[in-house]
Amino acid sequence: MKRKFLSPPVLLLLPAIIIIAAVVLVPLLLSLYTSFTPFKLTRPDTLYRWIGVRNYARLFEDYYFWAAFLRTFVVLTIALNLEMLLGLGLALLVNKATMGQRALRTIMMFPMMFSPILVGFQFKFLFNDTVGLVNNALQSMGMERVIPWLVDEHLALFSILSAEIWSSTSVFAILILAGLMAIPRDPLEAAKVDGCTAWQTFRHITLPYLMPFMFIAMTIRSLDIARAYDIVQIMTAGGPARRTELLWTMISRSGYVDANMGLANAMAYISILLSIFFTFYFFRKLMAARRYMGGAQ
Amino acid sequence: MSAVILFGAGTAAQAKDEVMGDFSGVTLKAKFIGGNQYEPLYSRITDWEKATGGKVEIISKKSHFEIDKEIKSDIAAGSTDWCVGYNHVSFAPQYTSLYTDLKPYIPQDTLDKFSPALIDAATINGELQMLPRAQFDVSALYYRKSLYADPAKQKAFKEKYGYDLTPPETFDQFKDQAIFFADPPNFYGTQYAGKEEAVVGRFYELLVANGGQMFDEDWKPTFNSEAGQQALQWFVDLYKAKAVPPGVLSYVWDDLGSGFASGSVALDLDWPGWAGYFNDPKQSKIAGDVGVVVQPKGSSGKRTGWSGMHGFSMTKDCDQKEAAASLIWFLTNHDSQLFEASKGPLPTRTQVWDDLIAQVKESGDGYRAEVLSAFQEASKHAFAVPKFPEWVESTNLIYPELQAAIVGDKTAKQALDEAAQRVGDMMADYGY
Repeated sequence: MKRKFLSPPVLLLLPAIIIIAAVVLVPLLLSLYTSFTPFKLTRPDTLYRWIGVRNYARLFEDYYFWAAFLRTFVVLTIALNLEMLLGLGLALLVNKATMGQRALRTIMMFPMMFSPILVGFQFKFLFNDTVGLVNNALQSMGMERVIPWLVDEHLALFSILSAEIWSSTSVFAILILAGLMAIPRDPLEAAKVDGCTAWQTFRHITLPYLMPFMFIAMTIRSLDIARAYDIVQIMTAGGPARRTELLWTMISRSGYVDANMGLANAMAYISILLSIFFTFYFFRKLMAARRYMGGAQ
Repeated sequence: MSAVILFGAGTAAQAKDEVMGDFSGVTLKAKFIGGNQYEPLYSRITDWEKATGGKVEIISKKSHFEIDKEIKSDIAAGSTDWCVGYNHVSFAPQYTSLYTDLKPYIPQDTLDKFSPALIDAATINGELQMLPRAQFDVSALYYRKSLYADPAKQKAFKEKYGYDLTPPETFDQFKDQAIFFADPPNFYGTQYAGKEEAVVGRFYELLVANGGQMFDEDWKPTFNSEAGQQALQWFVDLYKAKAVPPGVLSYVWDDLGSGFASGSVALDLDWPGWAGYFNDPKQSKIAGDVGVVVQPKGSSGKRTGWSGMHGFSMTKDCDQKEAAASLIWFLTNHDSQLFEASKGPLPTRTQVWDDLIAQVKESGDGYRAEVLSAFQEASKHAFAVPKFPEWVESTNLIYPELQAAIVGDKTAKQALDEAAQRVGDMMADYGY
């Protein structure tokens, strides 16, 4: 009997493998290769000049790159925690509603329906120093000065965080609400019979049940925030004086405006470390939470 | 060669201008800048198609920075077989590998009808990289007439500064008056674009007006000179004195236009494209109260005049170069420029300036006549950005440092020294 060149499972998977290789693997390898070249979009011949780790070495010495890296880390940490707390609060409130819960769930999802670019424009207008709604509202309440929301060292990041949190808290709220709805009634009723307070019930029964849902939301959102670009670019473009510069505003400016694609790809590969770190961390937490609940082994 | 039959010389030749050769069966692919200000001209393409039998297929029409990104990606990917493309003096040095020299295709007679300085700005390494359309930009100073006509303000100003309150002749007077008029948070003396190439451009023109230069002859950065520090200090002083809105560092052109039109700003050094908008009662609170004068002088006695202009170029890979040259000529000819300039932008052909002013005088539009004469004077002081491919990249290294000085994180000297160091390193990398 003739031996087949490819086994049936491999043959059946081949189209998927080819497609994944074409749309994921090849661009990934090409971008990795370009990070070892001085590739400039407007000088295609630079694609073939190998300069080893020079782009990476330069970035390791670049104070502004690491400042953007650290800033992205801080923004990520603050946004994730606040979104989680607010999402948890929202989900608990909506879960308590006895009437119109479906309508509330739909309303809660409204911010997710806006494109990040539109959210950026919306919040840029809200926080505009002269014609913005926030300053106008504060002035009508008696404030006699103008707050430069998009310029001030701390307020600029706060303004960006507000936009991020407004648009994405519902991701947490929806997932946590799904968790709340899936909690079995027996342990809750047993706690009531045993005389537990509302806090004790929440702390020892509800919260552990919700943790896997929270960690799934955190994993998804950590990837989102680590590549935050649209809202920041629209609201401040990383400025002023690099005060709101995050990794992806820096990478996109280097790659597309300055046409330094080789350097931009090197930045992107370093920045991926951040995403890998958070994903790995949250997955470990997720596994631990599921083990605690008797799920994953 | 010349299937492209080009004529020029004034009105006598206008009729012949319509004959441009037979390009039946030819389809030209084109990439243009899009947007309200730029698109009316493209309606004239059907006239070119009727006259020549050729066809134009616009394969891309995007905003300034988006079309720039697309063109750069095309260069990288080698997909440059389209024929006619967008160009701008700030970006042109980056596109020299893409676009061809137009001189062999455009007769000298035609080139002589453009302002020589603008043809010079469009020429890089001896090659004419684009033919300018009527989208020439230089700034003049818009001001609120009523503020200057107010006797109480005139008196108070004279007492405080010792000279008459008239629209500023110098940047020092500009600063005095901006600080004098400011009444934050309700009213500001002036404003400026505070980020990206926009703030570097404004800094550049002040630097030149103060007698400085961005680079020396060997392309070493020299903008951290005395003149540069003085230029940057102007922005810092206005910001510190709260004579500009506190969010000014997040502003670019649209924010400035809407800010001045909202009636909350006294003086606005701005582009010609806003003139109609500022005086339109449907869109502007200051309609009827707008004056325009030539840009102020710097400490060297020279007026400022950072300018830019848009144009059309032809790719090296285009296989229908004569037809492409014909289309480029058509879109920049006398009639096209008059058509485009009658809607607001400034022409780049000298004859069109005169015809436009005559047209406006005949219509009795006093405001438009004032605008045109101010901008005609302003255009005499125009200068383009330094012609090297990394100009935009250098601005991305400079502007965060300018901002750092303006918000007080660094002194003007520290900021400019740091910027010069970074730009110098970049230039060294590119072999300058």
